[in-house]
Amino acid sequence: MDPPPRRLAAPLLLAVLLLAASSPAARAWKKDEFRNCNQTPFCKRARTRAPHSLDAPLSLASGSLSVSPDGSISAELSHPSRPRPLVLRLSALPPHALRLQIDEDYSTATPPHRRFHVPDVLLPDIEARTLHLPDPRTEGGVSTVALSDDLDVVVRHDPFELTVRRARSGDPVLSFNSHGLFDFEPLRESKPEDETWEEHFRSHTDKRPRGPQSITLDVSFYGADFVYGLPEHGSTSLALRPTRGPGVEESEPYRLFNLDVFEYLHESPFGLYGSIPFMIGHGARASSGFFWLNAAEMQIDVLAPGWDEASAPENGRIDTLWMAEAGVVDAFFFVGSEPKDVVKQYVSVTGTPSMPQQFATAYHQCRWNYRDEADVDGVDAGFDEHDIPYDVLWLDIEHTDGKRYFTWDHSAFPNPEEMQRKIAGKGRKMVTIVDPHIKRDGSFHLHQEATDKGYYVKDANGNDYDGWCWPGSSSYPDMLNPEIREWWADKFSYENYKGSTPTLYIWNDMNEPSVFNGPEVTMPRDAMHYGDVEHRELHNAYGYYFHMATADGLLKRGQGKDRPFVLSRAFFAGSQRYGAVWTGDNSADWDHLKSSIPMVLTLGLTGLPFSGADVGGFFGNPEPDLLVRWYQVGAFYPFFRGHAHHDTKRREPWLFGERRTSIIREAIHMRYSLLPYFYTLFREASVNGIPVMRPLWLEFPDDKETYNNDEAFMVGPSILAQGIYEEGQKSVSVYLPGKESWYDLRNGSPYKGSVSHKLQVLEDSIPSFQRAGTIVPRKDRFRRSSTQMVNDPYTLVIALNSSSAAEGELYVDDGKSFDYQQGAFIHRRFVYADNKLTSFNIAPDNLGEKKFTSECVIERIIILGLRSGAKKAVIEPGNQEVEIESGPISLRSGSSPVAPTIRRPNVRIADDWTVRIA
Amino acid sequence: MRLLLVAALLIWAAAAAAASKLPLDTLGIPPQDEAYYKSGVIKCRDGSGRFSRDQLNDDFCDCPDGTDEPGTSACPEGKFYCKNAGHTPVKIFSSRVNDGICDCCDGSDEYDSNVTCKNTCWEAGKAAREKLKKKIATYKSGVVIRKQELERAKEAFAKDEAELAKLKGEEKILQGLVDKLKEQKRLIEKAEEEERLRKEKEEKRIKEEAEKRAAVEEGAPGASQEAGSKETNDHVQEDDSKVAEQHDVHATDHGNHVPESGTSVEEHGSESQDGSVEAGTVDEMPPKESAAPTLEKDSSSENPEGLSREELGRIVASRWTGEIVNDISKDDAKGHADEPEIPEPAEEALEDELEMPEPAEENYGGYHSEVEDDRHKYEDEEFDHGSDDEYADDHDEHVESYKSDDDQKDDLTESEHASWLDKIQQTVQNVFQKFNFFKTPVDLSEASRVRKEYDDASSKLSKIQSRISTLSEKLKLDFGKDKEFYSFYDQCFEAKEGKYTYKVCAYKKASQAEGHSSTNLGRWDKFEESYRVMQFSNGDRCWNGPDRSLKVRLRCGLSNELNDVDEPSRCEYVAVLSTPALCNEEKLKELQNKLEAMSSSQPGHDEL
Repeated sequence: MDPPPRRLAAPLLLAVLLLAASSPAARAWKKDEFRNCNQTPFCKRARTRAPHSLDAPLSLASGSLSVSPDGSISAELSHPSRPRPLVLRLSALPPHALRLQIDEDYSTATPPHRRFHVPDVLLPDIEARTLHLPDPRTEGGVSTVALSDDLDVVVRHDPFELTVRRARSGDPVLSFNSHGLFDFEPLRESKPEDETWEEHFRSHTDKRPRGPQSITLDVSFYGADFVYGLPEHGSTSLALRPTRGPGVEESEPYRLFNLDVFEYLHESPFGLYGSIPFMIGHGARASSGFFWLNAAEMQIDVLAPGWDEASAPENGRIDTLWMAEAGVVDAFFFVGSEPKDVVKQYVSVTGTPSMPQQFATAYHQCRWNYRDEADVDGVDAGFDEHDIPYDVLWLDIEHTDGKRYFTWDHSAFPNPEEMQRKIAGKGRKMVTIVDPHIKRDGSFHLHQEATDKGYYVKDANGNDYDGWCWPGSSSYPDMLNPEIREWWADKFSYENYKGSTPTLYIWNDMNEPSVFNGPEVTMPRDAMHYGDVEHRELHNAYGYYFHMATADGLLKRGQGKDRPFVLSRAFFAGSQRYGAVWTGDNSADWDHLKSSIPMVLTLGLTGLPFSGADVGGFFGNPEPDLLVRWYQVGAFYPFFRGHAHHDTKRREPWLFGERRTSIIREAIHMRYSLLPYFYTLFREASVNGIPVMRPLWLEFPDDKETYNNDEAFMVGPSILAQGIYEEGQKSVSVYLPGKESWYDLRNGSPYKGSVSHKLQVLEDSIPSFQRAGTIVPRKDRFRRSSTQMVNDPYTLVIALNSSSAAEGELYVDDGKSFDYQQGAFIHRRFVYADNKLTSFNIAPDNLGEKKFTSECVIERIIILGLRSGAKKAVIEPGNQEVEIESGPISLRSGSSPVAPTIRRPNVRIADDWTVRIA
Repeated sequence: MRLLLVAALLIWAAAAAAASKLPLDTLGIPPQDEAYYKSGVIKCRDGSGRFSRDQLNDDFCDCPDGTDEPGTSACPEGKFYCKNAGHTPVKIFSSRVNDGICDCCDGSDEYDSNVTCKNTCWEAGKAAREKLKKKIATYKSGVVIRKQELERAKEAFAKDEAELAKLKGEEKILQGLVDKLKEQKRLIEKAEEEERLRKEKEEKRIKEEAEKRAAVEEGAPGASQEAGSKETNDHVQEDDSKVAEQHDVHATDHGNHVPESGTSVEEHGSESQDGSVEAGTVDEMPPKESAAPTLEKDSSSENPEGLSREELGRIVASRWTGEIVNDISKDDAKGHADEPEIPEPAEEALEDELEMPEPAEENYGGYHSEVEDDRHKYEDEEFDHGSDDEYADDHDEHVESYKSDDDQKDDLTESEHASWLDKIQQTVQNVFQKFNFFKTPVDLSEASRVRKEYDDASSKLSKIQSRISTLSEKLKLDFGKDKEFYSFYDQCFEAKEGKYTYKVCAYKKASQAEGHSSTNLGRWDKFEESYRVMQFSNGDRCWNGPDRSLKVRLRCGLSNELNDVDEPSRCEYVAVLSTPALCNEEKLKELQNKLEAMSSSQPGHDEL
């Protein structure tokens, strides 16, 4: 029950509140609460420095350049005024990656602390994959090393500069320190009397006992028209807009600092919940990437041409300035012939995304909060009553006993296991929330245990850090420590987590970490972690380790047989290995709907394919039309979940009138029918990191029209969609890239490629198309949840290109276990050519002993663009004849026949076969 | 697949009892539709095409609307008919066919899946029939009660209408009297004024004479004149106070003359007497809710400087939760906060003390606070009926008219027996007759009588007008098709849910009370869903949320009972009210037919 309205305790407060309420901005994002670059000394220092103006520019000690026994190249960087030299290491990873590591040389004058190297992010086999580099050729203060047949790295000694270039043409691709801004503040033995290391922000003091230790570096992307990446920021632009330079309205640099930002802006370079210091440069002739593994606060400027007062480079170049508060240089330069190469190399370093369970790729229903078992029952029944499928019902923080995670509010959820079993009876799953803040309550066993074992992050004085979050006074387990992660993982066993069942999965929220009374709503930077690490050094990775420990917990719980599903709000490079992320607490407005596309696309480009935005918008009540549009877009998000703040009106899909209910049902049905396609895309992502939802230019890298398209997106290689982001929009312009045509997903109408089409906006769908030359597998029977669809037959939609050919893939496994890793899956390639559709097995046969098979058949093959008036098709083997009729492209009442449809070929997806148009 | 299906069907058919065989050409088809499928070529119902008989239930969707696949899951928009012998036949979504979950109690939806469904129709049907029978029994008694209620409503309505007509007649007469009295009063006042001037003049003259005399008879005091003057003043004062004191007295029996004048008096409503009373009434009213919005401000933008860590934490948390943070006390010791969720109980108590004058039921504040202007006063009085009255006695008469409907009514009807109107007319006649304008000086006792009569009559008039306004507003309300909700007008329904007491007053408002604090859940809005829902809207505002509202779902019951209050969405409440008003005969018939159908589909069985 909602309590009666609160009344004020004191007239004084009343006055204050009146004042606060009078300003409309009272509820919006609070700019003052976050540090801007000018308030951040290391950022201000670095950002105001002119190119080539360092007092102590670093140079390579002559003769120090050599190939080490492990095949890498090492050298020393120094300047006479520095207390210690720096150690540089260059190594190469196939096919086209260069790694640059720079740290202090601890072998000479030892500083009191060591700089932090972020552990457990890079794949453990990375050293083993390192190439043995040939000896460098040095000439006139410049050394050249061949990285591969077609790639060189050129190292200039004084001042130090590094350029990766194409060997044959000599064209640079990426360079480091071309503007002489590389600075590496040395750790100091002790604080000089006349210096203050402390920093103050609002009421908070950061003692900074280790003094300045920031690193600044400049990186140039040659041949790039745009740069992309660096999540997470609210933005309606996929390309990273320049932050300063001629003709640019100067903004803050892009900030990477994981923060829980209340009512974040849809357009701001300030940091949000997660950070991935990875940037992709792309132009018609070049694709490249730069990744700096560093978990400290980072600020990155994207500089407009002419920022350095030099004339704009001929072939296009984008300069960037990277500033980090602490850490070391551990950077990767990726070169590709197309952008997919860059993404693939990035995940080859940080890990491929985990393969989700089938259910996780379906629709999720969430709300803060489904209050009790009756509420859960009612919502579950509501979906069935309206024939709307869903797979997962979520419980937010209120399900717990006083925000003590792993517990239940027994008055609201007296029988959690029975409740889950009931939901599971319909093939559905549940998710509960588990946050990192642990209530400081002596009677709470988890707190007691963590206290006794010393598992909490410490404050600057060495006591357990005590912050404020949902439960009130809270402490935070130190997830940097593997032992603590192990301990945490054990908490997810059925024995430890009472009331959990095998169909319960987990949601990690507030893991930035969010600390309500901390500086910028997070943990103080001088808090201390395992291994003498300051929080400032690992801040951006705290949520990552927490996510990791939780996913490990589910893995352990299922004895390594059940793929974990853990959704996390905070993330870092590598989070893709542990589960899904979402774009946090967005707002129910059209701008947030629009910005969700660049945000989700950016996550995909930086290795995190499994992401989405809260459908409907978390804060506020969406206009019903906005909600409908959000479902239509959300149905294409890799992670598709409706969620809402507890102050908002109920917004389950059937609450907005029959018409809207049926449109939302339609959108969700569309997702369910495409689940085989999505699952195949997730498979691809899990193998090579190519995202499920893709910018157009990932599929059409040469088409310049696509580089700056923020509204349309690809789902895999075959489907293009564009949201409707404005209220009451009547027409929309949709650019369809490439030379081939496109077919409207709903009625099969063809559209020319390489053209912007002005389309009438329809109420019941957003513009979406299948690319000619592709084959999309679907399942057109809808069930309560994806679980009941397992045995349902498939539909193949073939869109023929101008040479009457097409191809596509289908990946199927058991949808839940790890048996696929040992070969238990079906992976087919469908190729249509010369009036014949052929199914090829493309599963490698060397993966293991396990087998997966399926009785599923293909019940319908729709061929778009088929000219012949054939009435029969012949199936081989068996020489069986089947009919071809004209049929609709989707099975909705009133849809008319539009394309030749092979009726009931009933070939098994597991088999080899051909279907020939007679 | 087709072969599989047929095979499965055969197996199923073999295993199943002969009585419930489902051949392919009737699978999932309701009996009344079987004829539709008899022809060789069958049309899709949506007109999208046609299909041959062998395409019926061949597990391939030929009609997007599902016409050709009533018995399979092939068409997403299809419906599957389960016969459910022994229970009620149902149509289920085709998405449920062979999905591994038993949906039909006869198990017919899972004829080709890996689950075996038991036929539970008999038991489920029995239970359902029992339930239905109970419901029918309730309806049967309910229908009787409803009929009685309707009779009463009819009578009450007619009575109200009659009363209204009568009052309107009385109003007309009384208005005439009041007008006359007013004129009379004016004349008296004029006469008095003249007399005063005359007296003054006289006194002046006497004084002057006395002075002259004094000048002649040296040193003699003018005591007699002074005494006379004083006497007059006293007299007037006494009269005034007498009027005030006797305000409440109704009938008097002075016999006076009536002047023939019928001069109408303007500006009746703005007579000073009325005005002052109203002003007084306004003073008695709770202050308007101008302060209320301040209860709901975001405290989070407060400058965090100077706040303790805990306060800062609470304030930042409050942005998401919407709780108001005003707990400055430190009693919630850091590190051992048992229940950090705000508010703390102590805080609440404090809040209660500082509570803004809340529109609590007892003083009708919720409605009066809406009154921005005295002119609306009569219109608002309707809200008072049926409420307790704590003002009545120790306030002046006008306030008394805020009494409940019943009191007001009694007040009028009581005198009715004594034909109060005749009496008053008579009295006024007497007053008029007695009073002689040409007599000088003015007969003071007569003048005060006129004043008193005027006051009495006009107060009576405003009461009648108020009652008229009340009645006509009432009669304008929507009491349902058969006026079945007429009795709701004077009723409130209560339910306890946890620590809260909910009170729903139809046509008025709904509230949630906790101890002495009460929250307005909404004012009466309207009936919805053809009189199945009572909607209350625009209640107290929620922080960061909507105005509170309440939907009361009505269902047939033998008495008016409020139950199941819930808040499924923040500040949007729902409740269920059982009431005989919903027990209508058509529905009863429907239920009886349903029961009949259920029982007849169970041949050879009688659950009794």
